[in-house]
Amino acid sequence: MPDPVRLNGMTSAASALQMMERRQQVLANNLANVSTRGFKAETPFARMMGNAMAVTDTTLDTTAGTLTETHNPLDLAVAGDGFFVTQTPGGERFTRDGSFQLDSERRLVDSRGNQVLGEDGPIVLRNGKIEVESDGSVKVDGRLVSRLRLERVADSAKLEHEGGTQFVPDATRQAIAAGERNVRQGFVEESNVNSMSAMTAMIDVLHRYGAAQKTLSTLDSVRAIATTEIGKPI
Amino acid sequence: MNPALRAAATGMMAQQTRTEVISNNLANVNTPGFKRSRAHFEDLLYQSIQGQQVLGDPNAETAPAIQVGRGTRLAGILRMHEQGTVEQTGRNLDVMIEGNGFFQLDDGKGNTTYTRDGSFQISDKGLLITSDGWALQPPIRIPTDASNITISVNGNVAVTRGKDIQATEIGKIDLVAFANPSGLQSLGRNMYGSTAASGEPVVGAPGDDGMGTLQQGSLEGSNVEIVQEMVEMIIAMRAYEINSKAIKNADEMGQMANNLTR
Repeated sequence: MPDPVRLNGMTSAASALQMMERRQQVLANNLANVSTRGFKAETPFARMMGNAMAVTDTTLDTTAGTLTETHNPLDLAVAGDGFFVTQTPGGERFTRDGSFQLDSERRLVDSRGNQVLGEDGPIVLRNGKIEVESDGSVKVDGRLVSRLRLERVADSAKLEHEGGTQFVPDATRQAIAAGERNVRQGFVEESNVNSMSAMTAMIDVLHRYGAAQKTLSTLDSVRAIATTEIGKPI
Repeated sequence: MNPALRAAATGMMAQQTRTEVISNNLANVNTPGFKRSRAHFEDLLYQSIQGQQVLGDPNAETAPAIQVGRGTRLAGILRMHEQGTVEQTGRNLDVMIEGNGFFQLDDGKGNTTYTRDGSFQISDKGLLITSDGWALQPPIRIPTDASNITISVNGNVAVTRGKDIQATEIGKIDLVAFANPSGLQSLGRNMYGSTAASGEPVVGAPGDDGMGTLQQGSLEGSNVEIVQEMVEMIIAMRAYEINSKAIKNADEMGQMANNLTR
């Protein structure tokens, strides 16, 4: 085992400042996405890096956002666990943002135009009354057209974020059994950012940043004494 | 520039756009056939600050990559094509579409535009035109001696001519439907243009599958609900406020950092 990096107080205080800055960045991103449908907030936490230095790491806050009723038949929300699967140029992606629409060929797509996948590929909806049942069955005028693919991973807190409220599924992905599904038609899932707790976290960041800054200044003054006072002719 | 400042700024811009959309909805609360819109946002690409890495030596543990988001962006403005309220006017040239169809209009340059605003008038040449003067397609010509115009649910236009007792049919109003009406381009003046996203217009008669029926003597009001828009506006304002707080916080941190050197 190599010797731990020798630390002096200055570098520790500096890394604390950096950690707090990154924490503020995470909070700012959460707050910027307070009205992004299907957005999942990131919870910052400090990670010890082998030695005493701490860095900010994040984990996905997977609590459900509020479901808002829109009465739009193409707005879908997953109550509980699970993600919709979309086909993007970069491969299949997970999303909880179910404000879908139809493209010019009447395929169900997300707001970026990526196709929403059913059990037999893209879902084409012809003219008629569109009904989506809680197990994800899509019906037009009472006739079954397709069934939405709903998947989950073992630990959704570790999912990799991609822009556009998309997540990159990992190897543990698996389909959700029909009995455990709960798709709600005419609802959208709002962002799960809690602006109250983000506010208090921001104040906390500010105070801790101030404390780390004071530590650094104090250490600096101590060294100033060491370099200027010691060895001064009496 | 501090990324926290920039992320919060994108949040403020998003709320600004949202307020603009809400204001436009509210401004058109009395516009016949108006369809409300809503702004739709998505998060920006995430920056991987640090890739996956193995920590410690004896029991190697892999830490997932650290990703920091960079804010939000406008993904699109979705028009909600749900039916507006029914306004009984009793005027015989007010026609409401009950269903998904659109009237076709001629813009005078050979282009076809689409509308749901059925408050028609008769032009000096006897044609049925919209309140902006655009002629209904296919043209319906009302004879000068006509009285008592009736428009059936299936779009048949009949008039009583001169001293006749029997009504004569003089034309038929066609409708068009789109696969994706949210993809239509708003042209202003209650008109829409077809785009690649909306799909090709499908022409049909009122009463056909997916077209809807006509109702004479009524107008389709705007589908804006004031209470809902007001609530949205309050939420947007609070979100704007909290993003400005995030900027203030980041700014104060920057000031502290600057105070490190005396």
